[in-house]
Amino acid sequence: MTATFGDFLRPAGQHIAAAAAFRGDLDDDVRCVAVRELGRLVCALARYFDDLPPTGDPAPAGHRPPSPGTQAAADARIALRRAARSLRHATPIADDAHPVVRHLSAAADYLAAGRDLLQTHFTTAPSGAHTGSSHWAPIVTSGPVTAALLSELAEHARTLAPWAAQLTMTGPLGSGMPAPERLILHSAIGGLWITGAAVEAAQRDHPPPEDARRLLAAVPASVPPPRRPPGNQEPVTQLCDGITVTAERLRHAALGSARRSRATTSPSWRRGALASAITSHASEIILRTLAERASQLGIDPAVRVQLHEAADTMGVAWPAWRAVACEWDILRTGVHAGSVRTAADADFGDLALRAGRLAYDSPHWTPACASTSPIRAPADLAATPDGVSVMLAAVHHAADAISRVAAADQQAVRTAAGEDRLYLPTRLMPESYDIPYRYTLAPRSHTDTLLLTYATAVSASARVTQVLDDVADAINAPSTMLGASRNFERLQTDARRREGHGLARDEAPSTMPPTTPWHATQVECLLHSLQITDPAMLLRAVAIDQASYDLVAQAAAKACKRDSIAAPTQRRPQIAPNRPASIASKDFPCGVPERNQQVPYAGMRAATMPSTGTAANRSAMSRADGISRSA
Amino acid sequence: MLPDLLAASFDAFEIIRLLARSCDHRAPELFAAFMTTADAAVDGREAITAAPALPAGGSTARVSVPTADTGTQEITAALAALGALLHDRLTHAAARTAAPEDQDACVQAADAARRIHDLMARGDDDRDIR
Repeated sequence: MTATFGDFLRPAGQHIAAAAAFRGDLDDDVRCVAVRELGRLVCALARYFDDLPPTGDPAPAGHRPPSPGTQAAADARIALRRAARSLRHATPIADDAHPVVRHLSAAADYLAAGRDLLQTHFTTAPSGAHTGSSHWAPIVTSGPVTAALLSELAEHARTLAPWAAQLTMTGPLGSGMPAPERLILHSAIGGLWITGAAVEAAQRDHPPPEDARRLLAAVPASVPPPRRPPGNQEPVTQLCDGITVTAERLRHAALGSARRSRATTSPSWRRGALASAITSHASEIILRTLAERASQLGIDPAVRVQLHEAADTMGVAWPAWRAVACEWDILRTGVHAGSVRTAADADFGDLALRAGRLAYDSPHWTPACASTSPIRAPADLAATPDGVSVMLAAVHHAADAISRVAAADQQAVRTAAGEDRLYLPTRLMPESYDIPYRYTLAPRSHTDTLLLTYATAVSASARVTQVLDDVADAINAPSTMLGASRNFERLQTDARRREGHGLARDEAPSTMPPTTPWHATQVECLLHSLQITDPAMLLRAVAIDQASYDLVAQAAAKACKRDSIAAPTQRRPQIAPNRPASIASKDFPCGVPERNQQVPYAGMRAATMPSTGTAANRSAMSRADGISRSA
Repeated sequence: MLPDLLAASFDAFEIIRLLARSCDHRAPELFAAFMTTADAAVDGREAITAAPALPAGGSTARVSVPTADTGTQEITAALAALGALLHDRLTHAAARTAAPEDQDACVQAADAARRIHDLMARGDDDRDIR
């Protein structure tokens, strides 16, 4: 499993407490080594404070003074830096070193490793700018979590300071501690006292919230775990672990630039939609089985209701993903490039397979008809109430990952549609369109439908995660942190907006699915608030919201164009309607973007090079019937 | 003739896709099977579309949705058989064609056809892929 900050912070605290609990006299040699390790520990603490955002120049007159927390951090930073400056590199300690030395050394190592873990959420640009690169980054840098971190560090400082002071008073007078070690010790004591006192004073009236402490401990390393392909006969617990690992990998994929780049093509999006549909379908079965098991185990009826609600929302999500997959049946971003599969494709495959193996009884389940099997028995799915929590966490992780990738894919597909990079095979067009190329630019009606299905699927997935966040919280599932971090992120974003700062520029691009997508905040929300569940009405609402969004986006783009004095772009020539063949023959993507996009049919290689499509022929094509597609 | 085979294969993949899509709601336990079959059919159709020898022209693939009384097993068996047939013909064509791009297209489409067969085949009653 992915390491979390708590995995380092807790043992660091335990080692510090163990070292500080030692009350005996130390030999001079031991004391010298202990002081050097103490110095290393102070250096580790100082690095945390160095990572905090600088307080900057003194506030100009009329500006608000720094908050007590900021001031405390600045004081501690200066004190610890001063202490760290006098320190020397510690030499490696022997295996049979004194326990105090070993505890101090281990604490320093844990603190250094913890800091490294936090740093995995940031990247440093060549300019030196520190930018967030994960969806945890804004949480790590948020006020409450920073306060929680300061509080933890200050507690360590307060534990160490009196013990270090006592070190100067034990042993024979004028003991053999060399001058450098004495200097280290005095600097360290000063730094630790100031740190402990400054933070304590600042947080006396406003201690960091407990949620922030829990979130701090839960911050995971932002490193994708290695892929764990499904085994042949994985038991339920291993299937759950596998889903958690795969979900984490997919969350990284959602944040990575690859998923958003032009290199990501329709087959990847199609496979994502396919796996999301199958996983959500299996998840609905799992949730219904879990609800039944919860009833058998006598779990709180309210939880059972929540599980049923989660299953119902999942029952809305998978048809939405099926619709997206259907749209990808005929649309694509370029010519067939073979069966190249990306890492995310493999992860999506793993996710769907494991979800199916949890839902159904057979450990060898695959989508094939030959491996169909009955639904898994409730007692087999979760033997105990703890088993229910573990199972729910797996479903929760899967839904969260799907939701985050969905948000990234929706954005990328919208860009592809906006850049006219979506095509369909001309062979699927009516014969009257004698287009001498294999693909033609997708008519607007097709791309609009695709975007609409994405909007619906993203909205449905966001709703699923919201409901699962609540259930996980109610039964204290291992995935509780997913919901807590989502809520926290939302609160922080809202707070920043209220403060008028807008979104911080150094934040990573968020793939966090909103509770309801940003474009679906009007009519669809209204219908939800009226408890309308009729899919047809909801779909109409989404369509209306989408149209509103498109209109606003178009207006914004127009305004932007009007204001710019950029060189005029090549306009598509208007072609008179009523000549379908000649119109269609020119309805090709402009520029042939990648991989020899337009391959003419055999014997037509001498055909005139394509010009560009027009709004007129687009609408002509969209009116045409007979484009073979599913209902 | 390769062009005729490619045109027929294109239509066959399209028919498989349409049939699989129209049946995916028939039984919950077959949802994943039909969804994945439709996906494989898209892969096969796209591979064929890339073949230079594919003649111009529109697809003639049309499917009438099977009636409710058509057995699901009957449909899956038909799709499995069609997958096996496509695999057989396309593998054969790949071996005989000289043009590398056509060969690639046939190999990839044959692979998609094999997947369709594997997804839809239920047991001994289906035609095995050699």
